[in-house]
Amino acid sequence: MVRRTTKTRRQFIKFFATTSIGLSLGSSDPAEASPRKYGKLHDTTKCIGCKRCVSACKRWNKLKIDRDEELTDRETDLTGKSWVVVNLTRDKRNREDLHYQHWTCQHCIKPACAGVCPVKAIKKLPEGPVVIDEKKCIGCRYCYQACPYKVPRFDFEKRVTRKCTMCHDRIPRVKPACVTACPVGALDFGVKQEILTKARKRTEEVGGYLLGEHEAGGTDFLTILTTTPEDLGLVVAPKKVVNRDLDKLRITSYGFSGASLLTGLMYMYSRTEEEETEETEEKE
Amino acid sequence: MDSAIRTGNAKSPAYYIWISSLIALMVLGGYAQIMSLLTSLEIMEFSLRIPWTMMVSNYVFLVVSSTGLCIVSSLGHVFGMKRYELLSKRCVFLALVTIIFGMSSIALHLGHPERALIYNIITPNLRSPIWWMGTLYSFYILFIAVEFWFLVRMGMAKKANSSTDLKQKIYSLMVARKTDETPESLKNDHKWARIAGVLALIFGLSAHNTLGAVFGHTEARVFWYGPYYPVYFLFSAAFCGYAWLISATIITYKVKGKEIAGKLKKLLFEMSKIFALLLCIGLLFTSYKLGFGLLNPAKAKSIMLLLNGPFSLPFWLFEIAIGSLLPIIILLYAAYKKKIGGLLTASIMVLIGVFVMRFDFLVVGEVYPMFSPMGKDALVLVPSFFPVLMEIFVIAGIFGALFLSYTLGVKFLPLEEELQ
Repeated sequence: MVRRTTKTRRQFIKFFATTSIGLSLGSSDPAEASPRKYGKLHDTTKCIGCKRCVSACKRWNKLKIDRDEELTDRETDLTGKSWVVVNLTRDKRNREDLHYQHWTCQHCIKPACAGVCPVKAIKKLPEGPVVIDEKKCIGCRYCYQACPYKVPRFDFEKRVTRKCTMCHDRIPRVKPACVTACPVGALDFGVKQEILTKARKRTEEVGGYLLGEHEAGGTDFLTILTTTPEDLGLVVAPKKVVNRDLDKLRITSYGFSGASLLTGLMYMYSRTEEEETEETEEKE
Repeated sequence: MDSAIRTGNAKSPAYYIWISSLIALMVLGGYAQIMSLLTSLEIMEFSLRIPWTMMVSNYVFLVVSSTGLCIVSSLGHVFGMKRYELLSKRCVFLALVTIIFGMSSIALHLGHPERALIYNIITPNLRSPIWWMGTLYSFYILFIAVEFWFLVRMGMAKKANSSTDLKQKIYSLMVARKTDETPESLKNDHKWARIAGVLALIFGLSAHNTLGAVFGHTEARVFWYGPYYPVYFLFSAAFCGYAWLISATIITYKVKGKEIAGKLKKLLFEMSKIFALLLCIGLLFTSYKLGFGLLNPAKAKSIMLLLNGPFSLPFWLFEIAIGSLLPIIILLYAAYKKKIGGLLTASIMVLIGVFVMRFDFLVVGEVYPMFSPMGKDALVLVPSFFPVLMEIFVIAGIFGALFLSYTLGVKFLPLEEELQ
């Protein structure tokens, strides 16, 4: 009878621990679970910098067009209304090596932005895109801070953070707007595994670097670069998942230790004073 | 001037000038806020690349101060130090006012603060430190408010019983018609205030930890990343609390033309020593941050912005000289010479220094890494880090409202220390 009770208690503790840890860490991972996962690929060696992908993105997503983007080789940055930018990048080691780069959300497999959004407005869809729910976003901009590539940008008029959605409202039936618009086939879209195999092969052919294979734990948008991102002056993301939940717990635990230490010090301070007061009272 | 502003003598011109200037500041803040609603939030920001600026730094400054005041007040309430109980009403009131205006500061910064209230409850993200911070601070506000109510209930009941007409109605409404003045009810109030105080301290420290975690968790911001900020924020809260309490108490007494004597004077000088000690600990934390930061190549670039970059003047002058070194010297000198004026000067200096420090730590953290497809340096992309005028207006409005609340609180609420 006693043995049975012990076993049940142990089972209960196991159940309680696993469910609570699972709940708090967000155990479900739709990105990994889905058999049909898609990816996007950009080959900088093929890109001619026509910026038709930029226009197509703006048309499909009904974004305001700025004048700047018409001036071809001027540096343009992502904004709440420009979800894709094309810029001319130069290799630091070989100054003559110039290539256009299609820069947008990398659609991380384990997105740091989704992990920090306080209201779960950011989701990693099973098909691959990382999408912000604009009706839910509170505009705190924490996703921007957490993103290793600084992609989600604030739209000052809508007062929410916006970014590329990999056209989740048209895939997989129709390819994303930018991919359809590309006249030279520098952009590609398809089943992630196939895209990855294709990208690896092409990277080997050009002797370049595949951005997104390992960065931030792997991303669903891959870019074939002629050289490393460091040489191109791009933001370099660590080759691991950014903002792991266990790492967050580790840092928080330091804070709680600090709080306990402070409380202990306060307790010690209060005791010393009381003793002194009692002593003085006794003397009096 | 001092005697002229006496709050007791409400008809003095200086009192009206003070109140009108605070209202003017609030109007200025209101104007900036309305303009941002009519045009775009862009008028509040100096760069899209640096989204957290003065509004967030002011939020951090005020909520850290509130937690600090809660820590100081709990020395009396929770830990049973009788001397500190003398200042507990003023301390808890300040904690309540600072947290409320701190939260207003962040609410004005959010794109959609109304959604935050709804979706924080409907779809919480337990993995997000901002969610924890918001939730824990909400509970903290609740417990601080309950603690304050129990602390001043007796005083307000006395005012309700001794006044007539409208004044009596308002006071009795504020105490929820509990106008009982018996010693038993006072004992009961103390019991509940203590329970609320313990809960406020627990929730305050936890919320404060998650505030540090908001910065500590962001692996993509090397300057903030790590366990340093969750721990440092706690200790900086403690000296901020002392600075607020000492300055508010001394100014109130000076303005009212009352003499600080006896138990209160003794307590203030005792507090000044602890305050100086905490400032020394803060300085140690800063040197640790700089030393170890310079050894880390990823952080060194950000640290150099403080040491010898666009932030060197605010860092060396405000953060180190005005915010730490000079106040330590002044506090020790004032404690030795028994000069109340020294305590006030040091406390105000610390508050100014800490206010600048919060802005520095926030903006410096956001400078690197900055995406530039053509490899431009962050300092070229963002040429100036000075807050924009509209943002300054809103902050001025928030401080106007904060000081007005404190002034009215001192005038209408029983916050007086019972020196006898």
